[in-house]
Formats: sequence, C-alpha cells, structure tokens
Amino acid sequence: MRYAMAIDIKKCTGCHSCSVACKVENNLPDDIWWNRVLTVGGENMDTPMGKFPNVKMEYLPINCQHCENPACVKACPVGATYKRKEDGIVVQDYDKCIGCRYCMVACPYSGVRQFNWKKPEYAIDIAMGDKDVTKHQYNTVEKCTFCVHRLARGEKPACIETCPNRARHFGDIDDPESEVSKAIQGRTYFKLLEEKGTKPSIYYLT
Amino acid sequence: MSAQTRKSINISLAVFSVLAVIGVVCWILQLTKGLQMTNLGTTNMWGLYITGFMIFTGVAAGSLFFASVPYLFRLDEFKPYCRISAYVGAVSSIVAASLFIIVDIGNPERVWLFITSGNFTSPMFWDFIILLSYMVISVIFTRQLILVHEGKKDEKSVKPIAVLAFAAGILVFVTSFVFSFQTARPMWNTPAQPLSFLLAAFAVALAVLIILAFILNKIGYIHMPVPLISKMAKLCALLLAAELLIIIGEVLVGLYPGAGGEYEAVSWLVAGGGAIRFWLEMAAVVGALILLTRQASEKGGTILFGAIFAFAAVYLIKSNFLQAELFHPLLNYAGPVMYGDGAFYYIPSLIEIGVSVGIVSLGAFLLVIGLRALKLGE
Repeated sequence: MRYAMAIDIKKCTGCHSCSVACKVENNLPDDIWWNRVLTVGGENMDTPMGKFPNVKMEYLPINCQHCENPACVKACPVGATYKRKEDGIVVQDYDKCIGCRYCMVACPYSGVRQFNWKKPEYAIDIAMGDKDVTKHQYNTVEKCTFCVHRLARGEKPACIETCPNRARHFGDIDDPESEVSKAIQGRTYFKLLEEKGTKPSIYYLT
Repeated sequence: MSAQTRKSINISLAVFSVLAVIGVVCWILQLTKGLQMTNLGTTNMWGLYITGFMIFTGVAAGSLFFASVPYLFRLDEFKPYCRISAYVGAVSSIVAASLFIIVDIGNPERVWLFITSGNFTSPMFWDFIILLSYMVISVIFTRQLILVHEGKKDEKSVKPIAVLAFAAGILVFVTSFVFSFQTARPMWNTPAQPLSFLLAAFAVALAVLIILAFILNKIGYIHMPVPLISKMAKLCALLLAAELLIIIGEVLVGLYPGAGGEYEAVSWLVAGGGAIRFWLEMAAVVGALILLTRQASEKGGTILFGAIFAFAAVYLIKSNFLQAELFHPLLNYAGPVMYGDGAFYYIPSLIEIGVSVGIVSLGAFLLVIGLRALKLGE
C-alpha cells in the first residue's frame, strides 16, 4: 500500500483554498506553509506569464511529494525523517529533529520543508486545527504529513476535501479501484523533477 | 621559553578568552531567541556557520596531513614543526569545526542523537565519524611526536600513526559529499567538488600554518627559517591555482548555455547579487597567488600577507559556493511568502559574526594553551 495524490492542473484555478485548509487544519504557525499554490511563469504570485495581450495563468500546487526514494530521509543524520513502511508516507519526528536543515538542502522541491526559525506564533490567539495534530516545535523542520491524523480516522487529507473544483484526488496507488488510481487512468500526467530519481507520489494531471 | 615569549602568550590568552566570552554571549542570545537571530531563511538555510565548518574541517585535515608528510617522505627540516601542526589539527580546528555545527543546529541539546540514532546513509553522519577519527588520530599523533621529541620513543614508531594521519587528511573529500551527493543542488552535484574540497582544505590549512609560523617566529617560540615557510607558501599557491582552474571551469560551464538554472545561478554569482563577493574572491585568489610565489624577502612579509589572502580566498570560495546554489533552487515559481523571502543575497548577522569570532577565538585559545603547556616548540 502506498498513498499518493493526483492534482488536476487543468482544474486548479489558483484559489489557494487547499493552502488555507492545510494551514487551519494543522494549526500552522505564522510564515509556515505546508501546502502552497505556486504561480507558473508570473513574476509574482497570481500574476500571468507572458506579455499582454498574450498572457496565460497557470498554477502548480505543491506540498511534500512523499517520495518513494526520498532524498531527505537519506540526508537526515539522525533519522528524524523517515518513510512509513505501511503506507509510504514520509513523516518528520519533531522530538528527534536536531534542526540542522540538511533535509531542506537535500529536497529538490524547494520550500516544502520549512523550519521554525522562531517560537511558533499564530495569527490569532485561539489555537486552530485538529486536536490530533502534533504540537509544533521551535527549531525543528516540518512539512505536509498527508494529514496522517485524519487518515488514522479513515478521513481524507484536508486539502482534498476542501478543493472546490475537485482538482485533488487521494488514495492507495497500489489499489486500482482507489480514487487516485481512477483519477490517473486514461490521463496524461507528469511528476515533479522526476529526473532527480526521487520517485515522487504526487501525480500532476495535464 | 623566554620571558618575552611567555608574556606574548599570556596577552594572547587574555584577548582570545575575552573574544570567546563575547561569542558565548552571542550564542546564548541566539539560543533564547532562536535562529531568527541569523540572516538565514527558508531558501538560504545555511550560511556563515556551515562555511566555518567547511573551513575548519579543512584546516584539521590539512594540518594532520602536513604533520605526517615530513615523517613519511623524510623531509627532516620540517620535522621540528610537526608537533604544532598536529596539535592544530588535534584540538583547535576540530573543536572549531564541531562547534560551528553545534551553533548551526536548532536543538544542540539533541546532538547526542548522532551517537544513539545515527543514520548511516547520511553524509553528515559520515562527517561526524570522520571528525571523531581526526580527533583520535591527531591526539595520538601529537603525543607520539612529543615522545619522540623528548627522546622517549624511536622515530620509526611514529610511522604507523603518520600513515593514518596522511590517509585521514585525504579523507576530507568525504566532507564534500555532504554537498556533492545532493541531486537537488546541481552546482554542487559534480565530480569536481570532492577534488575542489581537498584542494581548498589543504590550501587553507597551509595558510593557517604559515600565519602561525610567522606569529610564533615573531614571539620567539620557534625559529622557522623563511626559506622553509616559503616552500609551504609555494605549495599553497599551487593548490590555490588548481582550485582557481576548477572555479573558472564551473563559471564557464554555467555561462555557456546562455539560459537555464545553472546559467542563472552563475550569472547571479558573476554579475548579480553575488558579484561583489565573487570578484573579491577572484581578487583574493590572484593576490594570494602573486604574494605567495614572489621571491621572499629576508623577513618574508609578502608570504604572511599572501597567506592571509589565501585564507580570505578560501572563505569567499566556500561562502559563494554555498550561496550561489541556495539562492537558485530548482523550483522558483512565485508563491506565498515564506520565512526569509525577499533576500537576494546573504550577509551574516552581527550575532552570527559574534558567535563565529568566538568559536575561532576559542580554537586559538586552546592552541595557545597547548603551546604553553605541551612541548610543541623547538
């Protein structure tokens, strides 16, 4: 069994709902984003590529790619980041992370791993998010967990449920009947920086 | 040891301890407020501390290597100075290199995990093992050399440990694996990097040993003839020249395509945000080459300045090597603001500089203690 995600680029309108859902669900501290929607080609976020009138908008939602051959897992000197044998999810053990940031150096998907440079601070005084989310720690690296706490209860990750255009699909890629396997069937797709040999588990449908 | 020498040693101990205390204060400040006290960010997550680590691992490896060479290749004229070189490798630079890692990590109190939970696939773990082996080899080596000097041991008995020290020195290319094994970092991910690390390590070690030789000559601790120092200078220049060729190669390889990721990183280096430091680097390399290879005067002042230039050159080479790559990640599309976004180049914060000066001073303090307590001089 291996969890995977399919993101339909054609359906993504760049509404950032998945980013916000992730931020709220996981009670992410200020400046930390596990799930970001990047704007392809534009100079700034949400600006088009090309020159007027020949402009085009395209988005690339990005989170941890939960690679089959993760560069971060190899790099971590103390084994604080590891791939779960049972479902292929790459997780980060906050209690073990020494905060050397070598995983951030090793990961080709720049920015999916983020570091708590200061004590976690939050935009509002009340803690948000799911009660089962692991508490954020000062001086440690963190990243998308595929919402392991929700999976444990049989639910899907928050970004999947929130996407208003149903551009995101999730499930066991080894099971041909899963939502993600069905979403991929008959579609062309790419994986990010596949040439780096990381074997990412996110399929971008085109 | 003359009274004058003793006085100089005591003054330097006082100066280095004050600077080390300032470093400790800066570190405490960093520990209480977090790594936000540095000018690092999500994109450029490594900076001055990692550069310091690279340099002092290089000094450790190089000084071990050069302490072994006279015993392996019968360069008798250098033998009286090997104890100092071995001690520099044994204590000062290893302590400095390790501390640069300690201050860089967010949770230094968890550093014992390197022992209890070390990950054998991690090049950083290999580095940890290598630093440990340097410590063991160089302590034994220094002790053996002192015993030989005192006539308690035969010179032949040094050979096995000298062979080990020689091999350990060359193993510094493993340090480069921390960087060169990362496919996510194309500018580092080249076979030239391990060689480049070796050249830079030996060059910077020679630079430090030359500077040290001048200082110790000046205070009368040793009396190393200038022609001998000049030989070290010429070797340092040769290593730097080879390193310069690798850098020129990297720059041309990056620029030639005229577009693409590596082109952008190299253009940033030679004509963008990194340009000032890149051209300073070039000036330092060329300056060092000229000064180190010039016919030395009686006192050899040009060599001393050449060694200072060589040290600055290696610092800039390592720092630029780090930043050019980190500021040009493979995916650089616009997105939500992350911590540290908006910086186009990296200048260390005052706290980073304070901590680093403190670490180097502590290394120097330990060196002076060794010079005073052990029989390292003539």
